[in-house]
Amino acid sequence: MAAVQTSISVSAHKVQRPRPLFARLMSDYGQECVIIAAILLLFVAVGLYNPRFLSASNLNTIFAGNAYIAVAAIGMSMVIITGHIDVSIGALIGVLATISGTLAVSGYPVWMAWGAPILLGMAANFVVGWLVAYARIPSIVVTLGMMSILRGGLISVTGGTWISGLPKAFMIAQWKPFGLPFPIIAMVVLTLIAAWWMRNFPFGRSLYAVGGNPEAAKATGLSSERRVLAVFVIHGAFAGIATILFATQLQVIQSTVPPNLELTVITAAVIGGVSILGGSGTVIGSTLAAILFAAIGSALIFVNVSAYWLRAVIGGLILITVLADMIRRRPKT
Amino acid sequence: MRRSMMTTLLTLALSAGTSHAAPVWTGADDQPTSPLACDGAPAAATPVAYNGGTPTKAPDRKGKTIKVVDVPKLVGIGYFNSTSQGVKDAAKELGTVDAKTDGSTKANIDDQITLIDNYITSGVDGILFSANDPVAIAPVLKKALAAGINVVGYDADAQPDARQWFVNPATPTGVAKSLIDTLAKEIGQEGSFAIVTSTFTTPNQARWIAEMSAYQAKCYPKMKWLETVEAQEDNILSFNQANTLLNKYGSDLKGIIGMTSVATPAAADAVTQAGQCGKVSVVGLATPNPMKPYIKAGCVKSAVLWSTVDLGYAAMQALRASADGTLKPGDKTFKAGRLGELQIINGSQILLGSPAVFTKDNVDKFDF
Repeated sequence: MAAVQTSISVSAHKVQRPRPLFARLMSDYGQECVIIAAILLLFVAVGLYNPRFLSASNLNTIFAGNAYIAVAAIGMSMVIITGHIDVSIGALIGVLATISGTLAVSGYPVWMAWGAPILLGMAANFVVGWLVAYARIPSIVVTLGMMSILRGGLISVTGGTWISGLPKAFMIAQWKPFGLPFPIIAMVVLTLIAAWWMRNFPFGRSLYAVGGNPEAAKATGLSSERRVLAVFVIHGAFAGIATILFATQLQVIQSTVPPNLELTVITAAVIGGVSILGGSGTVIGSTLAAILFAAIGSALIFVNVSAYWLRAVIGGLILITVLADMIRRRPKT
Repeated sequence: MRRSMMTTLLTLALSAGTSHAAPVWTGADDQPTSPLACDGAPAAATPVAYNGGTPTKAPDRKGKTIKVVDVPKLVGIGYFNSTSQGVKDAAKELGTVDAKTDGSTKANIDDQITLIDNYITSGVDGILFSANDPVAIAPVLKKALAAGINVVGYDADAQPDARQWFVNPATPTGVAKSLIDTLAKEIGQEGSFAIVTSTFTTPNQARWIAEMSAYQAKCYPKMKWLETVEAQEDNILSFNQANTLLNKYGSDLKGIIGMTSVATPAAADAVTQAGQCGKVSVVGLATPNPMKPYIKAGCVKSAVLWSTVDLGYAAMQALRASADGTLKPGDKTFKAGRLGELQIINGSQILLGSPAVFTKDNVDKFDF
């Protein structure tokens, strides 16, 4: 321990010398490394128990079938990093999916059916972001209200009917460019872009400052209002993309809100290492966490364990992650 | 003491029996089951005395044109549009009924009570209803009976003494028989199958699964129940769970039963996208509209649900007959127009009969 302390203080003095790769990885991406290790362990263990778990079709189910959760979790991570939360994401995706599907079956061009959820997601979250940033209403209150409006509105308008007869060209989630399912490509590309932006661009980096210490951020001249509003709008765009992946997976769309989707998305962000207190975490972590859940859910079926355990396991993971976060943040004595 | 020991032994023996048939937990509830006969002979129902209500001082309506209002849980959705169609069909056929459907656009019990109350005041001869809440609706229905109005329920019952008759769409044993028989016809009497349900604690599904398990053990003992997975009422989760079943069992899996109108189309989509149409059968409870793409593509041969048109039709017929006095307490059967003789069970419930099976040939006739 003492040696580590010394090496840190030494490296602090000699700033030019880069830290060893492993130490850098562990300090910057500790949670991500833990999740990768967990995913690999799970794949090896369940793969040994039943090799079919590692078949191409099952990997496709795990990765492509849940990519929309990972994509939604990217935006959610940004929102949580700036110190806010959005519980309306599930309802928003349900509403946007219904709109997108309705446009597709009504004969509008496919690009419009794809574009509408992204634009409308940004518009809806502009309102939310404005209320949070400028009207200073806590985000949990604004998004709870939004959730009720969207849920209630959707049921009254559609009566819970189904949309079927979707055109083949609409089904982008079933595309396989270069033999890879489109949802997986979208998930990986969007995660990397978002991670790169948040690490290397001043605006992206400033989100951590706004979430970590709003007063200090303000003192250094960062407008937290503008950033919070921007983050909500970006989050809306990711919700729109997640909606497209969600709505184009099956030939029918159920015009109701998918149950507990908001919790799944928030949980992915939190277990991915995004601090619920704001100010730290990465979107790579949230994507990995979304993959981890999907893999756990599939693994439980392969090893014949009741799905009840999925909830218990995820609940346990949340508590452990948040506890670890709290311990990390405790002032060092 | 001895009795409790006997019970324990019996339970153990039974659980050993079911665990032999189904090594993995099935998702059934733990209430007793009473599977129907394999050949479709009607179950010997224990007679229950009439327990419905009676309108007081009802005027003689025999042969006279009556004014009837149909109040479903809500209006504007396919399900109740089609029950309403059935009511209209029956009214037209009878010729002596002036029937209309009126309801709230939300499934709201307060709105429903207010509406029924208004119709009592305005003066109708008969009320048909599908209750949003069996207890809360009872007082206003009793008020209608007290005003001499004939009251018949369908789809969702009220407390028995608050109405005269209730048209019951399907019994758990009937649902179980339809699903397992349909599956057996498609995958053979020795096929292996898995189930996608909502959650293990949903009462309807748990009851149906319990009856399915009992009926399968009795009538198709060589069929193999591989597993039941839960998928809530989430279509993407249902899709992923069905895919995982396909991945896990490969060619050992011959059939998937969807227990909800969400799970069945999602399972059908999983089978379609896996290119397993024709190799893995999908049957299940489902409303016809979401099933149309899969049934028309030939990937799904049949989906099961009661015919909602017949449900409304039977309710209207029952109301006319009770107004005429031809359907009266103590009757064992009821002749419901084109549906023929329907069984009366549990004192005052008219059983619609076996659930409807939607296939390529008839699915376009249904729109809900």
